[in-house]
Order: sequence, then structure tokens, then C-alpha cells
Amino acid sequence: MTPNDVRGDRSARNGVALAAALAMRGIECALEVRGALALLLPKPESVAALQVDENRRAVLALAKEHGFTHVAIELPSERRRSSTPPPDAPVLRD
Amino acid sequence: MAPDLDAVSEADLAAKTGTLAAWLRANAPVAIGYSGGVDSAYLAVTARQTLGAGGALAIIGRSASYPAEQWQTARDVAQRFDVTVLELDTAELDDPRYAANPSNRCYYCKTELWSRLVPVARARGFATVIDGTNADDLSDYRPGAQAAREHRVASPLAELGFTKLHIRHASRALGIPTWEQPSSPCLSSRLPYGTEVTRGRLRQVELAEAALRRLGIAGDLRVRFHDDLARVELAPAELSTWLAPERMAVLTEAVLEAGFARVALDLRGFRSGSLNVLHGVSAA
Repeated sequence: MTPNDVRGDRSARNGVALAAALAMRGIECALEVRGALALLLPKPESVAALQVDENRRAVLALAKEHGFTHVAIELPSERRRSSTPPPDAPVLRD
Repeated sequence: MAPDLDAVSEADLAAKTGTLAAWLRANAPVAIGYSGGVDSAYLAVTARQTLGAGGALAIIGRSASYPAEQWQTARDVAQRFDVTVLELDTAELDDPRYAANPSNRCYYCKTELWSRLVPVARARGFATVIDGTNADDLSDYRPGAQAAREHRVASPLAELGFTKLHIRHASRALGIPTWEQPSSPCLSSRLPYGTEVTRGRLRQVELAEAALRRLGIAGDLRVRFHDDLARVELAPAELSTWLAPERMAVLTEAVLEAGFARVALDLRGFRSGSLNVLHGVSAA
């Protein structure tokens, strides 16, 4: 997965730069931009890191720096797994 | 997280409750727009205790945007404190201006509510109609307040400087169970502006939130509707718990059951007016 794994609306916010900044911080994830919402699709180890308050605060600060007002992580689901590529699979782009 | 009621001084609260009682006596009898939320429950109980059974009438406007759980709370509080209740159906979803979900959606909802409620109240001899708007509400974007003004609905709690903390504190003193209940705006507030409000979408949100409550989430909670995606906001103190793999799986399944295809957990957690911020209506 690379910081270029960004899909969705890329016009107003810098999702590519945010994904790169998160990776530098050790949070590896694909990122879907939905307006001012950055939707993270993290690897399992990155989800574990997000259980730590300090890491969440860092993610929120980075997201704000890159123009996002909201950050959420998509929760993995057995039910969705059959129809959705895992976070480290190639991601569709608009 | 429990509200910090110590932030309110007893002297301040006693002064405020005294002025409220005087206000109610001066404007009696009163009809209250009643939802069973923290503010209107306090107002209805206080009006009942100050003015007697004949001096206060709590009126509930029922529609698809009003959660069933909230209605049950409203009925329970009224029964416990012997508040007379009248129920009316409202049809804001049939108004295309409301259903289109503009940023002033609340204006159309409250216009519908007050245009039905006020004539009924006045026909029953209640010249004064009041709502539970509080002083904190005045700092947020609340287009519904304009509809209240147009229908001459008074907001004594806001007028007399009652904040949410004052109301929670005073409610606890009166034994009103809503004192620690999270704020509970209508279900349409979970849909971003511009996303059409339909009964199906409101039902989806309501089912998802009810399922999460059944998992034991008692504090602040919102399921925000983003088409196929449900974005769950929990109290920040709850986030670490629900990011644990086994809890996350339970939460996810509960929300998917309500009809969403994808579930996300907001990393900042609950914030009032979150969708206003997301859509640039108020500051981040």
C-alpha cells in the first residue's frame, strides 16, 4: 500500500498528503476522501495503534492540517469482506 | 461521561429556579412543546409543580423523525410526575422543503410543529406556549428558533440564562430521570444537509442507534448517515474500548443489521452539530 491509495473526492483536501503523513506516523491505511471527511481503511496493526488516545489525537491533528474536519476508520466486517477489497488491495480512483 | 454538575453553584441555581417559577406564574397557564428530552422534561415537570395540574399541558408532536425510545421516556416522565400530556401527529416529512433537507430544515419542522400545536393549545385555554430551548442553544445554528418566534412561542429557559448544566443540576434535584440523559435531537439531524429525509433512512438510523444502546452504550451516541456508510460517533472516553477487535466486530454487526453496507467509527467521537461542521455551517 502506498500513500497514493486515495479514492473519492480529491478536489478540496489533500488526501494523498494526509495518507503519507499518517504512514510516517506508523498508521498505514488506504484513505477515501468524502468531502471534509477522511475515511481511513487501516491495516489491523494500525487499528490497534488507534486504541491509544495519543495516536488518535495525532491523527486528528494531521487531518486538520490537511483540511479535514472529520476522520473515521472503516470497521472491518466479515459480511462485507466478500464484496470489498481488503485495505491493502489496489483501490479504485475517481 | 457524567456531566460535571459541580460547575454550577447552588446559589446560582436557586436564583434561577426562583426566577423560572415567577416567570411561569406570570404567564400561566402554559402549554409546553414536549419531547421528553432533558430540557423539555425539566420545563414540563417544573411547570406542573409550580402551576398545578390545570396550569400545565405537555404536548408531544409525533412523527418519523421522533425516536420511539424518546417517546417512551416522555410518557414515563409525564406519568411519574403527573404531567398532563396531549399527543399530536406532525407531518414535516410530507413537506418537500423539509424533505429536501436544506440547512434550515429545522425551520420547516418547527413551523409544522408550532402551526399544529399552538392553535390546539390556545383552543384549550393555554395562551402561553413555551419550549425547552436553553441558553447554550443560542450559540449554535438553530433555524428552528425563528419558527418559534413567528408563532410567539416563548423560551423561558434561554431567556432566564439556564444552560444545559443548570437544567441537569435542577433536574437531578427534582428526581427527573432525564438529568443525565444525553442530548437527543431529532433523527433527521443524522442526515447531512442535502441528503433527502425519508422514513426509511430515519428508520435505519433509529434501528442502528437502538441496537448500539442494547450493546450497553449509554452516553452520547450518534449514527450519522452517509448513504451506504454509517459513521458512528461515541463519547471520546468510549473510543479505546470500542476499537478493541472483539468489540469492534460486535458494533459493526449491530449497525449492518440496520441496513447499512459500511460502518465507520469517528476518531474524534461525539460532537454536537457534527454535520454542521462537516458541511461548513458552523466552525470546526
